[in-house]
Amino acid sequence: MTRLVCPFCGPRHLREFEFHKTVAAADAGAFARVYERVASTELSVEHWQHVGGCRGWLEVRRNPSTGDVLEIHLVGGGGEA
Amino acid sequence: MSAIVIRRGTRLREQPVRFTFDGREYLGQVGDSAASALLAAGVRAIGRSIKYRRLRGVVTAGAEEPNALFTVGTAPAVIPNVVASQLAIADGLVLRSQNRWPSLKYDAASVLQAGSGFFGAGFYYKTFIWPSWRTYEKLIRSLAGLGEAPGSCALGPVAVEHLSCDVLIAGAGAAGLAAARAAARAGARVVLCEREPVCGGELEFEAGTIDGRPAADWVTATVAQLPTLGVRLLPGTTLVGGSGGEMIAHTEPGGLPGTNAIFKIRTRAFVIAMGAVERPIAFIDNDRPGVMLLGAAERYLARYGVRVGAELVLFANHDRAYATAGRLAAGGMRISAIVDTRTAAEVGAEPLRAQLGRAGTECLLGHAVLAAEGGATVHGARIASLAAPDRARLIRCDAILVSGGWSPAVHAGLQEGGARRFVAELGGFIAAGQPDWRTSAGAANGRLELGAALADGHAAGVRAASHAGAAGSVGAAPLASGDAVPRLVPFWRSPASLAGEKRQFIDLQNDVTVADVRQSLAEGFVDIEHLKRYTALGFGSDQGRLGGLIGAAVLAEFRGEPLADVGTSRLRPPFHPVTMRSLAGLRVGAALRPARRTPLHDWHAAHGAVLEPMGLWLRPRYYRANGADSFTAGIAEAKRVRTTGGVADGSTLGKIEVAGPDAAAFLDAMYLTKASTIRVGRSKYMVNLREDGMVLDDGIVLRLAAERFIATTGSGHGLHMLSHFEHYRDTQWSGSAVTITDVTEAWAAIVAAGPKSRETLRAVLGADWHDALGRLTHMEFATGRYAGSELTVLRASFSGELAFELHCRPASAVTLWEALVAAGLEPYGLEALDILRVEKGYLVGSEINGQTTPEDLGMDALVRLGNLCVGRELLDRPAFHEASRPRLVGLRAVDGRGRFLAGAQLTIPAAPNRPVGYATSTVYSPTLGEWIGLALVAREHSADGTVLTARDPLRDGDSVVRVVPTVHFDPASERMKS
Repeated sequence: MTRLVCPFCGPRHLREFEFHKTVAAADAGAFARVYERVASTELSVEHWQHVGGCRGWLEVRRNPSTGDVLEIHLVGGGGEA
Repeated sequence: MSAIVIRRGTRLREQPVRFTFDGREYLGQVGDSAASALLAAGVRAIGRSIKYRRLRGVVTAGAEEPNALFTVGTAPAVIPNVVASQLAIADGLVLRSQNRWPSLKYDAASVLQAGSGFFGAGFYYKTFIWPSWRTYEKLIRSLAGLGEAPGSCALGPVAVEHLSCDVLIAGAGAAGLAAARAAARAGARVVLCEREPVCGGELEFEAGTIDGRPAADWVTATVAQLPTLGVRLLPGTTLVGGSGGEMIAHTEPGGLPGTNAIFKIRTRAFVIAMGAVERPIAFIDNDRPGVMLLGAAERYLARYGVRVGAELVLFANHDRAYATAGRLAAGGMRISAIVDTRTAAEVGAEPLRAQLGRAGTECLLGHAVLAAEGGATVHGARIASLAAPDRARLIRCDAILVSGGWSPAVHAGLQEGGARRFVAELGGFIAAGQPDWRTSAGAANGRLELGAALADGHAAGVRAASHAGAAGSVGAAPLASGDAVPRLVPFWRSPASLAGEKRQFIDLQNDVTVADVRQSLAEGFVDIEHLKRYTALGFGSDQGRLGGLIGAAVLAEFRGEPLADVGTSRLRPPFHPVTMRSLAGLRVGAALRPARRTPLHDWHAAHGAVLEPMGLWLRPRYYRANGADSFTAGIAEAKRVRTTGGVADGSTLGKIEVAGPDAAAFLDAMYLTKASTIRVGRSKYMVNLREDGMVLDDGIVLRLAAERFIATTGSGHGLHMLSHFEHYRDTQWSGSAVTITDVTEAWAAIVAAGPKSRETLRAVLGADWHDALGRLTHMEFATGRYAGSELTVLRASFSGELAFELHCRPASAVTLWEALVAAGLEPYGLEALDILRVEKGYLVGSEINGQTTPEDLGMDALVRLGNLCVGRELLDRPAFHEASRPRLVGLRAVDGRGRFLAGAQLTIPAAPNRPVGYATSTVYSPTLGEWIGLALVAREHSADGTVLTARDPLRDGDSVVRVVPTVHFDPASERMKS
């Protein structure tokens, strides 16, 4: 995984992006949101920011075992890439 | 030094080059590698081995050379571990052998070794245990290690080039050239890297033909054609590592000054055509100088006109040895015998064998070389029939050339991990199941015959181009003839007694023998990765390319399992040694990271400021006019602020403008207290929490208008806070009407503090500002103009004095600053600011360390206000209210004289070795005339008047301190409100 496709800017090098966190389930409580994030070998849902570009916040779904990026969209919806 | 005898080889020009090796001058020819020039000069021993200190000679002609590694250059510009066969000699080049002291001939450690026999794997850790390993560690470590790291870096700059292409091809041998031509014809943008300075690989001395002409001519024609197809050819450039389509290539082994370049190559598809690595066969004393790979001898002859010996014994397990023998004989070397491990039924190449026999070469089938006889060099080969290994005889020779087959170069493809597949007829592994953007081709893919390699390369080029979206017409694959199947029968080591196994070397660079593998297994290290860690097999500059597979095969033999199941150890980058200087590229010194400079930077620099990095910012620590060091200058500057006043550059404060109908509600959620209650024209000191409840940052929030705020952040935190706000705006607050803009660099900030600050400002800002300056109450601000430009004056204080923060446009900052200085407010730096803050008990920075809650920092009142902000919920966890949680307190020496420094651990008499807290910020207070500080102390020990010991064994030792209120000076803040 050396590239992410930003919905605004197109394919960009990974170093333009900053990883923020893996995302907990939508219905998680305050404690679970911080401390009970899912660590799956098959699917990791993560928040990244395109700090070296449009500064958009992206939800990246990827397979940590293979490094394959499955899906990227802007958090809060829209901008499917 | 004798007169040079002109040699002829494909690489050489008849032009002498002088260089020195271990202080002695040698002559080579232009085009020579360091290895070829030394071999031509008759130098056999070129280094000692890392553990046993045995003399070693050149073994290969490639990057996988285990012995011929030199330290190049003179201090301080030295580079260790440069591979001799990859190093082109130049006039004045200085080379030194490694792993010897005081000299190559007389090595102290080898004398030690001679008395005690051979130390097997794990010897040091098992032997030097009394009284402890540490007693011996320093001495042993001084003898260990490959080469010596230079003490400083004086190497020249590195050129860094970024390339992007559709298809990257590593290796310009038969397969690589065919792949490059096919991919380029299909319309792909191709970059072709070749480790050697010239292209062609094995075709340099193959006798076959391609498309009806000699192979060498086909290489010349193809290399000439490639640039016309748009191929970027990078000769002398090795692919050292990379992942996922971004690869790093490097020119010149070691990164010699003047020639050093790094390429960062982004590619859509990747073809690995790096050929195969010839492997040795283990027999007793197979490490003596004079034992060499067969292919290496052939290269040295063809390229450099070097004869590696006069009388040779060849030891092999395949048919190619006979063709090579013919070429070596034609080059003027006498072949005494060819020792072939295969039976008559397995061998081909009859006409060649007959021809060699007629020329006086013994062709011994079913035989093996048991041992290399000799001293510093080889004198003979002890050989025997494999059917009767006890009845050995000696054949005199001065070189033994070994070839045990070829291992496909899977390195580049499998650095990222991945499966390997065993191919029986190769006795080796190829990459299996690669991602669709990566392909191995040619010998790297196990296709050793020329015709198959060309076809495979061509197909790989077409496939790679099509993956990148280029599918033009490519024409037919090149056709070859004249190359036969090698009919290899894997053979890994000759028969030997248990004692003999101690001298059957598998990994020459790490001195790993067959006996070490046996011992590893006996001690329970049964996996190939165990074996690697236990014996160091496969570590080192070649990452096991030469000996790794034999090691695995011997392990398989001892385990009684097929080699396919044992596998080989994981391959790791870099492909060959690269200096850290090269990897750093241009990012060294001041270019390591960008620096942010305030609009007043040039003024500071011109007026003797000592600048200090804070995040990316550079801020004045102190001004030299006020003292020789930060301690004395800081005291002078702080004292002046308290008596008259001073100005400081606060432009580095992060400033984030938050605007829109939902701005107030949004900020309420971001901060521990409410922003919505701030009146327009006023500001508030506010604190942010992280999601987990820890304090994140603090700052002042100004309300410019009903729907417009400016939030200031700590100097190093601006960008982080911006991301923090943006994250919540786009997640929980997505769809709300808030805009967030970083205006840090749109406003310069000048702090004017001290009893005389108001009157000085009145004098400088003029009549327009006279009333406003008198009217402003604490935390109130006014906006207006100064010298035609916008100005905000905020009455706020970080020093405890009457103080104003002036936010002006960067263009007018210097004018305003100079006017204030001319009016009598002298500048002060961070050191003074820290003193002033600690005196007043304001957080300096180290208190907000990601582990402190608002209550830990004494902000109970803010929490009680009950605003439900980010992180607030988690503050209610019971653990945050226990007596062991820290509490921010003030500290003073009990005797009023002792010094204690930030970082000192605080203990109570009952538990002198278990700290109950530590000092976070300490200063010498010129106002109070003693050392004071802030500390985080467990709540149960934080009561006023508690006596603690500040322990600082590495600096000041112990001193006795007392817990006091955090505000050391002017607790009622009368000065600030004056």
